[in-house]
Amino acid sequence: MKLTLKIWLLIIVLAFSLLSIFGFPPKFFQEGVLITSVEANSTSFEAGLRPNQIITEIDNQKIKTLEDYSAIIHEKFPSDKNIKTNIKTDNTEAILFSKNAPKITVSEIQKTNIKKGLDIGGGSRGLVQAKDRKLSLIEVTDLVAVISNRLNVYGITDLNIRPVSDLSGNNFMLIEIAGATPDDLEELISKQGKFEAKIGNETVFVGGEKDISSVCRNDATCAGIEACSPTTTGYGCNFGFTIYLSESAAEKHAGITETLGVNSTPQGNYLSKKLDLYLDENVVDSLLISEGLKGRVTTQIKISGSGEGKTQADAYDSAEESMHKLQTVLITGSLPYKLEIVKLDTISPLLGKEFIRSIFLAGFVSLLAVAIIIFFRYKKFKSSMALLITCISEIIIILGIASFIDWNLDLPSIAGILATIGTGIDQQIIILDEAKQKTAMSLKQRLKRAFAIILGAYFTALVSLLPLMSAGAGLLKGFAITTIIGITAGVLITRPAFADMVKKIEE
Amino acid sequence: MENQTKNFHDKNYKLLLLIPAALLLFSFIYLINFYSINNDFIYKDISLTGGTSVTISGNIDAEKLKSDLGSKLEDLNTREISDLITQKRKAIIIETKSDSDQTRQVLEEYFGYKLTSENSSFEFTGSTLSESFYNQLLISIWVAFVLMALVVFLIFGESQLIKLYAIVPSLFIVKIAYSHIPIVNMLAIFFISLSIPFLFYLSSKKKKSYTLAIILSIASLTILIFPSLYSNFSNLSMAIISIALAVIYIYYSIPSFAVIISAFADILMTLVLVDMLGIKLSSAGIVAFLMLIGYSVDTDILLTTRMLKRSEGTLNQRIFGAFKTGITMTLTSILAVGVAWFIVKSFSTVLSQIFLILFIGLGFDIFNTWITNASILKWYAERKK
Repeated sequence: MKLTLKIWLLIIVLAFSLLSIFGFPPKFFQEGVLITSVEANSTSFEAGLRPNQIITEIDNQKIKTLEDYSAIIHEKFPSDKNIKTNIKTDNTEAILFSKNAPKITVSEIQKTNIKKGLDIGGGSRGLVQAKDRKLSLIEVTDLVAVISNRLNVYGITDLNIRPVSDLSGNNFMLIEIAGATPDDLEELISKQGKFEAKIGNETVFVGGEKDISSVCRNDATCAGIEACSPTTTGYGCNFGFTIYLSESAAEKHAGITETLGVNSTPQGNYLSKKLDLYLDENVVDSLLISEGLKGRVTTQIKISGSGEGKTQADAYDSAEESMHKLQTVLITGSLPYKLEIVKLDTISPLLGKEFIRSIFLAGFVSLLAVAIIIFFRYKKFKSSMALLITCISEIIIILGIASFIDWNLDLPSIAGILATIGTGIDQQIIILDEAKQKTAMSLKQRLKRAFAIILGAYFTALVSLLPLMSAGAGLLKGFAITTIIGITAGVLITRPAFADMVKKIEE
Repeated sequence: MENQTKNFHDKNYKLLLLIPAALLLFSFIYLINFYSINNDFIYKDISLTGGTSVTISGNIDAEKLKSDLGSKLEDLNTREISDLITQKRKAIIIETKSDSDQTRQVLEEYFGYKLTSENSSFEFTGSTLSESFYNQLLISIWVAFVLMALVVFLIFGESQLIKLYAIVPSLFIVKIAYSHIPIVNMLAIFFISLSIPFLFYLSSKKKKSYTLAIILSIASLTILIFPSLYSNFSNLSMAIISIALAVIYIYYSIPSFAVIISAFADILMTLVLVDMLGIKLSSAGIVAFLMLIGYSVDTDILLTTRMLKRSEGTLNQRIFGAFKTGITMTLTSILAVGVAWFIVKSFSTVLSQIFLILFIGLGFDIFNTWITNASILKWYAERKK
């Protein structure tokens, strides 16, 4: 049987789609777990671990699944002393010595290039607005820059953050993080991050690069947890780190301290007022200023604070976390307005797998049900098979295009694919029936008439989808996108090919 | 057999129209009554009212949790997710109007362990966002419907001039609804300005239409130049323009109007049934109504094309031919969404609601295509003869 141009076109598009879904060479047979992010400046990073490497072995034990990985890591960490871990990846071998688990996030190797949306693959998504205030697009763009810097400094690098707007002209900042959700995400994206150091009522310096030229972190000589001690409710740990003020801030500091008196205490001589540190208008700490600093231009200042917890380890972690947050805010500076999280989804990847299974099952059984009706109605094996094959190719093409344009398949997108398949089958039925009509016309003319109906249906569906593209800050865009891809590919590629198949079969 | 149905149909098709008319009337009354009680056309779930939805994996008793925490969490609702085959409880879904911090706190206290992204999912929507979300979805459906009606009119309408008369106001609706999106706004203005010279060109031969063209252009230009005229009344302006469009469609193309009214009836009747069943709609559920527009118009276009644009066979033969094709289309769709609904029902609220609404809507579509639309068209075709 000689194939027509349109059928060849379908075959070529199908081949490209499969290539785009599975990649070349196909990633089917790779084993191990994929590193998705590595905390900057961590021991793991220094040892040479990088995102996109594939961990194949840890301490000479083969790692095939996420469970293998977490079993080994949970068994070893946390430990009381530094222990050795030997991590073998596809292109390096890293040896770590640490008390805590390596600061990396891992996921299973993607067998295909299809990107799962957050609501299936797990991850978090936040939509942020200013409180009591409408933001312009420029303001949101600035906000995106500040917050993404803040998240980067904090160590979250694998993220997608961008301004979005909706039909009513509201602008939002959309943050999407795939995989595990950082515990303090909410705080990181919603806090204004207004850091102020005051003596009395006078502001000495604020967070951000204008006043602070650098902040010491990840360097044990000038930043770290200093001492832990029991308190009435549990334990408390103190942290401290050094910051370097800009010239102007240092001079301001000198000017203010000049006017202060000196108090003598048994511990030493201090100035009459303290240096109060505020974060988002809450006092973080009050520091005594030693007499020697009075009126002196000093650029080096030590910031301290504390963390509490029920156990010493908890207190240690809490102090470390507070330190980390404070450092982040000091580096990235504050925002000129307060923020409000209007939507925050943190989706566990746990149910995702089951979910995909049930969607596949639903798709398969639906297709089977359709097949039964079609066989029953047409009683022709060949045309019914052609219909089903066309249907499946349509799914493959949509998935192919989606992986090609890096579209994240979320639930609305899957609903869109199902909608497309439904209309696709409907239109194929129209083609089959028009081809069967007993008229004096040639088969070609009859098929042409079928396309008149199909094009009408296509355009009505297309225009009714367009409004959805921008509604609700684009959260339902996936539905519109996949459906538009699907029906367009249908009208341009699969339907003409199907008509040719019907022609071949009828002849 | 075929002959008899035809005779019966020939005699009674006008009477048959009374059924959809009565149903439509009932739907209107029901919805007005519903609105006066609930102050809205639907029951909204938390994705549209604002609140928190939590999924926690594990074998947890939904009923017990609901009675234990009912006093601590506002408007608490729980549901279990179970395995399709073994029926074993897999996870629980908790929905409440309380915010995510409070919900987390209450639940962690109740379960006695920390809820992390490993063992739970939290979805929080603020009430201001969900309110604007809801309004935007409604406007999207409205615009989608207007555009769908326009395309139908462009396919089945007769005079080029009248088609232009329909394009300009439809574009205005797009412009008003999307005035905050610069690209769409500009495009709408561009096409409106482009249509005006055509309007004059096409109407130059007929005096009556010429006056109409002048009025329409002056109106368009005034609205374009002084957007403040409508900006405070955007919904009202859209409603007035939509009604004007409906009048154009009835007056100039009964077949188009028949398609539009069938699609409208599908949506309305589905909405009423959904309300009667007490289903709380999510944002995805509203999208399903949008999908319904696409699905229901398919068969209507098929029917109208076969009846009006074809000449072979008798009118009844053409209706019956179209019916055979159309009913296969709708039945396959109904069966497919029905099966899909059954499978995902215990798993995904989002998808199962979409499938359920499509299932109901397609059912009404059989009725509206083959009784409402077919009867109007037959009436129209008979009268034309």
